[in-house]
Parts: sequence; C-alpha cells; structure tokens
Amino acid sequence: MTELNQIDLRALAAGNKRAWDAFVAAAAPLINAVVRRTLSSYRLGEDDVLDAAQDVFVRLCARDFRLLKTYDPARAGLGTWLSVVARSAAIDHVRRRRQATHALDDVPESVLAVEDRHIEKLKIPHGLLTERQTLILKCLYDEERDVAEIARLLKIDAQTVRSTHHKALLRLRAHFGEESP
Amino acid sequence: MKAERTPRTDKELWRSLAAGHGASPGPVSDLDLASWLEGRLPEAAAARVEAAVASDPELRRAALELAELQGGPLPAAPVRMVVRARALIGFDAERQARRGGWFGRMFPSGPRHAFQRSAMVAMSIVVAGVGFVIGGGLGESFAQQMHGSEVAATTAANPSNELADYFTGDEL
Repeated sequence: MTELNQIDLRALAAGNKRAWDAFVAAAAPLINAVVRRTLSSYRLGEDDVLDAAQDVFVRLCARDFRLLKTYDPARAGLGTWLSVVARSAAIDHVRRRRQATHALDDVPESVLAVEDRHIEKLKIPHGLLTERQTLILKCLYDEERDVAEIARLLKIDAQTVRSTHHKALLRLRAHFGEESP
Repeated sequence: MKAERTPRTDKELWRSLAAGHGASPGPVSDLDLASWLEGRLPEAAAARVEAAVASDPELRRAALELAELQGGPLPAAPVRMVVRARALIGFDAERQARRGGWFGRMFPSGPRHAFQRSAMVAMSIVVAGVGFVIGGGLGESFAQQMHGSEVAATTAANPSNELADYFTGDEL
C-alpha cells in the first residue's frame, strides 16, 4: 500500500483517479483514527464516524481540490496537516448534527460545564508569564493533563515541562505575594 | 492577632487567577498548527501559536488530542469508509479535470496540441466565412420569398376561381 508521503500531490490535485484512490487508501486509517478520537466524547454511532470521515474527504476534493492545494509540504507533513483538517471537519460535523434535537445525556459533561463566575479572579498581568508557561499551566490545571502528554505536545522532555512549570509558579507567587505551600 | 495564611497549592493558586492575557491572538491556520505540532515553526511563530493554543480551550484540546495520535499505530479503516471516499472521484471527473470541460476538449493546452489548436482555429474561420456567405444567400432568398408571397396573396384572394377551374378541368 502507498504511504502518505509517497502520494503524487500534483496528480492528486489534478483529479487523477488513481492518485485519489491511492491517497484514500493511505489516508483512511489516519482520518478514521482522528475522527473516532474527536467524536469519542459525543457518544455518536458508527454511521456518524463514517459520515464525518466522508466529510473530510469531501472537504479535501471540493471545489477542484481547493483545500488540498493549500497544503505546503515544506511547512508540515501531510499526515499532521490531514489530522488537523480531519479534526476540524469532525467538529463541524458534530456542530451540524447538534443543531437538531438531542438527548441531554448525549452531551458530554465538559460541554455542559458552567464556570463559576461569582469568584472574582486576579488577573495575570500581560508579560508576567511567557506563552509557553501559560500553555503548560493551562494544560496541567485546566485540561488536567500529565507532564508526559504536555512534553509530547511541545516536543520537549518531561523535565523541561516540570522546570518551566516551577519557574512559572515562582513568578506568579512572587507577583501576588503568595508563599510556596 | 494576625491570622495565619495557609499557603495555597499550585493548582489552587492557578484557579484563583484569570489567565486571560487581554487581546486574544489571531486565528491559527491548519498549516500553522500542523507545523507547530511537528515543532517546525521558528521561535516567534511558535510563540504566537502557543499563545493561541493557551487562550483557546478548543484549540488546546485539539492540539493535545492530535499530539496523542501522532506517531502511534493506526488501526485499519473500515472498508465502507474507503469505498465511499474513493467513489467521490470517478474516471469521468479525471477526464474532465484533465480536459477542462468542453472548451478544454476543443482547445487542449500544451505544445503537443499546437497543430490541433491551429486546425480548430482555421476550421472556425472557414465555418464563420461559409456561414456569412450562406447568410447572404438566405437574405436574397428571403427577399424573393417576400416578393413572391405578395403575388401568391393576390391569387389566394379568390379561392372560388381555383375550385371553378378544377371542376372545369373535370368536364374535359
């Protein structure tokens, strides 16, 4: 079977049937995995997975392969770009589907969660934390992800995540006059 | 008496803070996000994507999920998924895309089709010329027809004469 990185993108964007068939065979496992992962929290059935995956392929070839033609191999791997496109299409599929009536039990708790706005929060001044420090703290405390997941996301080792986290908290405590626990 | 403050845990401290950074960073394109996920972006561009990912919970979840899937083993896709996706592009679509529709079929591009293009242009000129000549001929014919119809109209004005001639003819 042809690998994704062996696909002739020029032939594909020109509408070559054989290139398209090879592309579908190579991309389907990735698109299937991304769509399933994205829809997993919405308790949708197999038909929805297939429909959402089909939406991804439709999006890629629509308007004379307009979206596919925006892909630039010099900037990102085809697999990574496809996974971003697939997730976005799957989310759009869920949104369209949710416009119809649905049982409350089918909605994930994360979607229903309402932030308690009665607590007045102290605002972190702009520039106190770097973008990376903010992202790490958000992943750790808002998304409740572990250090290994964040390290994988940022392509850095776990120790760097820990030290960035530590430095960020030192800055916050120093700024707000907090003592370390 | 001074109340003793219990130091807050890191999580409690974070939760007590509003992490918004004022102006939200601009939207991140699919290609930029993919590039960032692969660690290919230069530092300044990466910082912009990181700011966007930090400020947008949906984008953050997307990034975390996609990072989780990256490089991992992928199960085979259902056959139905592959069949449906392949059906989106048929051989007809390929031919149409290659020819660019009716115009492309008449005037194919590329150096190999130069002779065909010249022949088509020459043929178009001949057809237009013949059409012009025939158009003139038809004009004459139309004028004649107009003139003739005036004569016919005077004849047709008295149909009883025709009938009389017919019966007169029978007497012979």
